[in-house]
Amino acid sequence: MAIETQPERAQGAGGGLPAEGGGGRPWWARPAIHTAIVGAVVGYLLGHALGDYLTGATGAANQYPNVPLSDSEDWPIVLGYTLAIIGWLAGLGVFNDILRQMVGRPISGNGRAHQNSGLARFFRYELDHKVVGIQYLVGMIIYFCTAGLLAMAMRTELLSPVNHVFTSQVYIEIVGEHGTMMMMLMTSVIVGPFGNYLVPIMIGSKRVAFPRIEALSFWLTPMAFLILLSGFMLGGFPFGWTGYAPLSIQATVGADSYAVAFGLMGVSVALAGFNIIVTVICYRAPGMRWGRLPMFVWSMVSTSFLFVLAAPVLFAGMYMLIMDRTAQTAFFEDSLGGSSYLYENVFWFFGHPEVYILALPGFGIVSELIPVFCRKPLFAYKVAGAGMIGVSLLSFFVWQHHLFDSGINPDMRPLFMVTTELISIPTGFIYLVALGTFWKAKIRFRVPMLFCIAMYFNFLIGGISGVYLSDVPADTTEHGSFFVMAHFHYTIMGGLIFAFMAGIYYWLPKMTGIKLNEKLGLWHFWIMFIAFNSTFLPLFAVGDAGQPRRVFEYATNLQGLNDWVSISSYFLGFSILLFVINFVWSTVIVREREVGNPWQSRGLEWQVSSPPPADNFDQIPVVLSSPYDYGVKDAQPVADLHPPAGVVTAAIMSADAARVEA
Amino acid sequence: MALPARIVTLVVAFLAVAALAVFVVVHYFLFSPPTVTFGAGVTADTGATVHVVLQEDPQNTVSTHPDWVSYFIQDPTTHKWVHTTIFKVPAGSRIDVTIYGYDGCTPLRNPYFGKVTGTIGGVEYVNGKPYSQLDSWSACHVGHTFSIPGINLNVPMATPDLSATLCGVSPCTTASPHRTVTFSFNSPTATGTYFWQCRVPCGGGFIDGFGGPMQTIGFMTGNMEVVS
Repeated sequence: MAIETQPERAQGAGGGLPAEGGGGRPWWARPAIHTAIVGAVVGYLLGHALGDYLTGATGAANQYPNVPLSDSEDWPIVLGYTLAIIGWLAGLGVFNDILRQMVGRPISGNGRAHQNSGLARFFRYELDHKVVGIQYLVGMIIYFCTAGLLAMAMRTELLSPVNHVFTSQVYIEIVGEHGTMMMMLMTSVIVGPFGNYLVPIMIGSKRVAFPRIEALSFWLTPMAFLILLSGFMLGGFPFGWTGYAPLSIQATVGADSYAVAFGLMGVSVALAGFNIIVTVICYRAPGMRWGRLPMFVWSMVSTSFLFVLAAPVLFAGMYMLIMDRTAQTAFFEDSLGGSSYLYENVFWFFGHPEVYILALPGFGIVSELIPVFCRKPLFAYKVAGAGMIGVSLLSFFVWQHHLFDSGINPDMRPLFMVTTELISIPTGFIYLVALGTFWKAKIRFRVPMLFCIAMYFNFLIGGISGVYLSDVPADTTEHGSFFVMAHFHYTIMGGLIFAFMAGIYYWLPKMTGIKLNEKLGLWHFWIMFIAFNSTFLPLFAVGDAGQPRRVFEYATNLQGLNDWVSISSYFLGFSILLFVINFVWSTVIVREREVGNPWQSRGLEWQVSSPPPADNFDQIPVVLSSPYDYGVKDAQPVADLHPPAGVVTAAIMSADAARVEA
Repeated sequence: MALPARIVTLVVAFLAVAALAVFVVVHYFLFSPPTVTFGAGVTADTGATVHVVLQEDPQNTVSTHPDWVSYFIQDPTTHKWVHTTIFKVPAGSRIDVTIYGYDGCTPLRNPYFGKVTGTIGGVEYVNGKPYSQLDSWSACHVGHTFSIPGINLNVPMATPDLSATLCGVSPCTTASPHRTVTFSFNSPTATGTYFWQCRVPCGGGFIDGFGGPMQTIGFMTGNMEVVS
């Protein structure tokens, strides 16, 4: 039985709050990104000055001792970042309503999103989940392209083992920035844009549970991005994306940007996950039983649980790291009584679920899309859901396989080897579902479907190589080499990013009412697919031959393969450029309208106009059947979008009564 | 928004991003300490002799990290000391190196690094006297090393007497207590960048001494660029 706990009156996109008045202020005086930038700059300067005062750098009487284990500038920089974040949020107006409520004044209606229109709303703290989804989409593309450019810089350096473009120091800075940016910001690459935009519509809701938290989760990401990038100005951080102590404790001030930005993203994703979980549990329309929940929503829920359980551990780890670097605590420093193992455990207790945080949304997208293009029901719906839940659960029991070579208790290795190998079983469920759905289907090879098929292909290679790496002897051999690097790029880029692209081509017409150019899309797909495999497949061989990660020099006999990989990576970069051109060309220049249902999908999100109306639905719909009943004789419509008066209320009362009885 | 306005906005946004990208690349990616060129007129692979002069100081008063120990290189043309650790030499040449050691001693964690390897004759000269190994423990004679792993070169740097008052302003002058280390090696015939470093964990204030100047080009680690 579906549970709809929220009466219709509370289902406005802004949560039933008053419309924004604007107060008659000119545009530049209203909270938006420009006031946020001012707030961030002022906050940074204040924080830095405070740090200087505390550390005695200004000659103040209050001589706070400098920390001998790190640069003396750590305090000013960390405090600068912290106040910059607060200033950024204050400039956006995040605290306005909270402060008004604290002093008993009526809230201003700042950010009553759906009543606003025009481009400006995308630069504000808006509460409409659709605006937040678009903000996330553009943000994620920018973050991805930035990190991608850094990857191409790395491949340029690796064109030669002896002649260098960058110094070794700059190279490791680029490696660290690329890895951290990809792993921390791409955490939200699907949950952010598609989860926030589509989940409420897919479950028949007019809003998300916590619009402010949702909007806040996005607006933390630009600050995390900028803080991380600012690391270049501070000398970078020489320890990759993992930030192992004591390297990260003794690194110079660039490491502060890593710790603050990563911790901030931990807060962002935890908030995002919390919102989605509550939205799905409490805001499903009548008839949207768990057994009718779209696979994409299942993936969002399972990912969100990982968010709220894993990300706080990351935040705690980063907090302790910052304290070690500034306040001279010794959580992770062995010689002072701490434990570097503690950091490794804390980091990977987040870090391995993180891998599945990146994989599950990809599984969700492909599972959602293949029935549409196969024109068949999704094979073994419950198995797909079980696969996702199984992956989520097991992902918390495998983290120590990252520590196989760290000197951990050897008795722990077999346990974590087995749990790691076990996780291939629920992952296999996803492939079983795909095979069953493909079986005897008349597949429409449109661009989104091609990306889905490529995702299955790529992830298979990544998954199989992962089974080898879960095996202790094999891992001992390959650890720290390009083999590992090739493996996780096959799972993350080959899985997540290909699925992300599938999602963009599939849902962009829904989100914007504009479709992407199909021919450019085909060119994009084929170049990206071929170049991706041409880039990363040889890296298994390179790693097997012993080339270590994060080192800018290598054996001269590996130059041929490295040059092949580097040139392929330029083609890969070109394919992404082609996508960006297509995206900008189609959405800004040509703007070919697509307001209908171009894929003939049964998804609830496609039953409303494109882009959806401000409140998503005129009335709360009543869901009648599965979204995957393609080709099913006498299948009912997926939902009644205009149910007779009283139906929704009756469903709510019925659910309440059932709850009371229970 | 009309089409021309959309296009203009796009172009302006693109130019802004491109300008930012160029700024980052030039100022941060391609930034490195200056390179000092030795043997500018020397033809490579002839065995000609090139003279390289460095000093290692207990501090540097010319950077934002005044408490970091640091190497300096003497420009062969101006004879001025340059705060860098990147130098260029011709391939296939004999490199005569003079290093003025102004910093005090640090017992080596591995006595192996007190052994001279990769030099012509397998020795270094400390104030003119040949040594094949310096004892860092009984006499505390070693402050740093000058090591190029790519050509198996390792030369321990001798230190002033323990009682000496070390130089306090960098670059130091020969009026301050020091020892002069000289040695020679042949530069490789293969051109490329050869990483060099100090193997003594001399990052004071950093955990186990690894960090800070130890990991920063321009201080205790650098590149020898071998050119044709």
